[in-house]
Amino acid sequence: MRWKKQGQLFDFTTSPFTRRYVSHAQSPQALILADRVRIYFSTRTNDAPGKFLSHVQYVDYDLELKAIIGYSDHEVIALGKLGCFDEHGIFPLSPTPVKDKVYAYTNGISRRVSVAVETGIGFAVSSDDGKTFEKRGQGPLVSATTYEPFLVGDAFVRFFAGRFHMFYLFGKKWSEETVEHTSERVYKIGHAISDDGITWQKSGLAIISDKIDENECQALPTVLQIGARYHMYFCYRHMAGFRNEKGKGYRLGYAYSDDLVHWTRDDENAGIDLSDDGWDSEMMCYPNIFTCRDSVYLLYNGNDFGRNGFGIAKLISE
Amino acid sequence: MFKWRKQGKLFDPRDYKDLTWLDEYAQAPATLLFDDFVRVYFSCRPKRDANGQFVSYSAYVDLDRKDLSCIVALAKEPILSLGKKGCFDEFGTYPVSILRMKDEIWAYYAGWTRCVSVPFNVGIGLAKSTDDGKTFKRLGDGPILPYSSDEPFTISGPKIRHFNDTYYLFYVAGNAWLEIEGRAEISHRIRMATSKDGIIWTKHNQDLIPNAWDEHESQASPDVFYANGTYHMFFCGWVPKNFRDTKNRKIGYASSKDLIHWTRDDTKAGIDISDQEDDFDNEMVAYPHVFALDGKTYMLYLGNSVGRYGFGLAELEGELA
Repeated sequence: MRWKKQGQLFDFTTSPFTRRYVSHAQSPQALILADRVRIYFSTRTNDAPGKFLSHVQYVDYDLELKAIIGYSDHEVIALGKLGCFDEHGIFPLSPTPVKDKVYAYTNGISRRVSVAVETGIGFAVSSDDGKTFEKRGQGPLVSATTYEPFLVGDAFVRFFAGRFHMFYLFGKKWSEETVEHTSERVYKIGHAISDDGITWQKSGLAIISDKIDENECQALPTVLQIGARYHMYFCYRHMAGFRNEKGKGYRLGYAYSDDLVHWTRDDENAGIDLSDDGWDSEMMCYPNIFTCRDSVYLLYNGNDFGRNGFGIAKLISE
Repeated sequence: MFKWRKQGKLFDPRDYKDLTWLDEYAQAPATLLFDDFVRVYFSCRPKRDANGQFVSYSAYVDLDRKDLSCIVALAKEPILSLGKKGCFDEFGTYPVSILRMKDEIWAYYAGWTRCVSVPFNVGIGLAKSTDDGKTFKRLGDGPILPYSSDEPFTISGPKIRHFNDTYYLFYVAGNAWLEIEGRAEISHRIRMATSKDGIIWTKHNQDLIPNAWDEHESQASPDVFYANGTYHMFFCGWVPKNFRDTKNRKIGYASSKDLIHWTRDDTKAGIDISDQEDDFDNEMVAYPHVFALDGKTYMLYLGNSVGRYGFGLAELEGELA
């Protein structure tokens, strides 16, 4: 794969969102509409010192991804009620069009005492081209189960080969605290299938092999079909030290498959990596691939987990 | 109305002084029958931790089958460890419900974790024993019956049953956290799931028992017993806005022919608080468990302060019909 970086696309700091939110435009996710590309992202408010809530907003681009033609200025999807799995944030929201609706799979966040958070995958439906979403039920559609005990989230859903396929994240462990590090999570990428997008069967397997070590964290899978081959991008990092130690933060990983079940990791052919300097020189994370007007694009966040916005790259060759 | 003859308190955790895991509480009794004794599982608590919070374990006490007032053994340790860091059962395993499965004994239990905006969340786990129910090992680190779209939190109070080649799990599911006098109080209702193998469950996703006390009443301990062509459910409940008043827990009753449609009639329950000043159950009767033994029908139940000082026994006059 060969990508040509086109630089930072959306700058939070100069956007109208600064009036309502403090920072971040994380995990961009594209929905292709007739006259625009709607890009959802998660941005933040503070609800207490050092505590924040993630909210979903969007920005609309023209079909050439050159000009901003609209912004959300309303609540796209509400956070959960008291005690619900998505009470303290939704990050990300992943849309997929189904007939005249838009399905959204959300990653809901709620705070815990012994560890930072727990997550679950929520489900919501839009009947207005993705302007607003209505949740189906207060609880998670897919959540922790016997062999995936926590941190189920980051769902990416597409209709491939006659069925719905979900690629998502599930937790493997929470490390014990040490003097140097707080309790850190380890998570891998899983796969589930469904006939209706609502009732899911998990395969129960981590589908992407580790590159760093067994504590490698893998997140935010996104999959594109080109011909008979499926291409997956995701982000991965070290379990600890990923926030500020050089070489331990998120980078983009790549894998391919011909059957959606067996995946071959092949980061060497990802065709995109950290820049020598600039906004994506230390970190690349939260990828989202989409096709618009016969071009394939990759959205992603750069340094500091997308504090200031997200960027875009265009596929040059397979 | 059924008539239950109280036999008094059977077990008081305060009688055992040297067990770090058992200080007070003997909650949610559940029976497993052996040739010579009746094993009664219950859930108990060590003293509060430095932050004033409890964890809960489950254990058992063995009663002489010929004389249930006679204790013949007590578990040497909890039957199940607490869950790993970040897991649904990190801070409590309470209550348990037990079923023989061929050579194994399976325990369905509620696991407790601690949350920030509300005090806790609960999911139902499965653990298995190969030593006659003395110790159990988890099937996995996560819940077998988790939160879902229509049951967003506090999936708790499992009671496992096997009827007509199908496994039934009766439990409670939270529907709202109510903000009452600055505290978050849970409202949960009795629900059911079915399974062919005890592992893969299909939720019924309906409340089984209509409200009778309050629109936000909390129901618990859905204990189903089959007798004379009818499924009998004894349960307990309270009104969340009165939750801190322990006297506001009562035992309710409902019956069904098909396990799905239930007719509630609390006036038939036939067991209430004692009017004697010194009795352990003169403020509360709660968390019923009905079982048959050698031609008789019994109910185990908790007394005052939700079983803080133990559980008692009552014997049915006649049969459930």
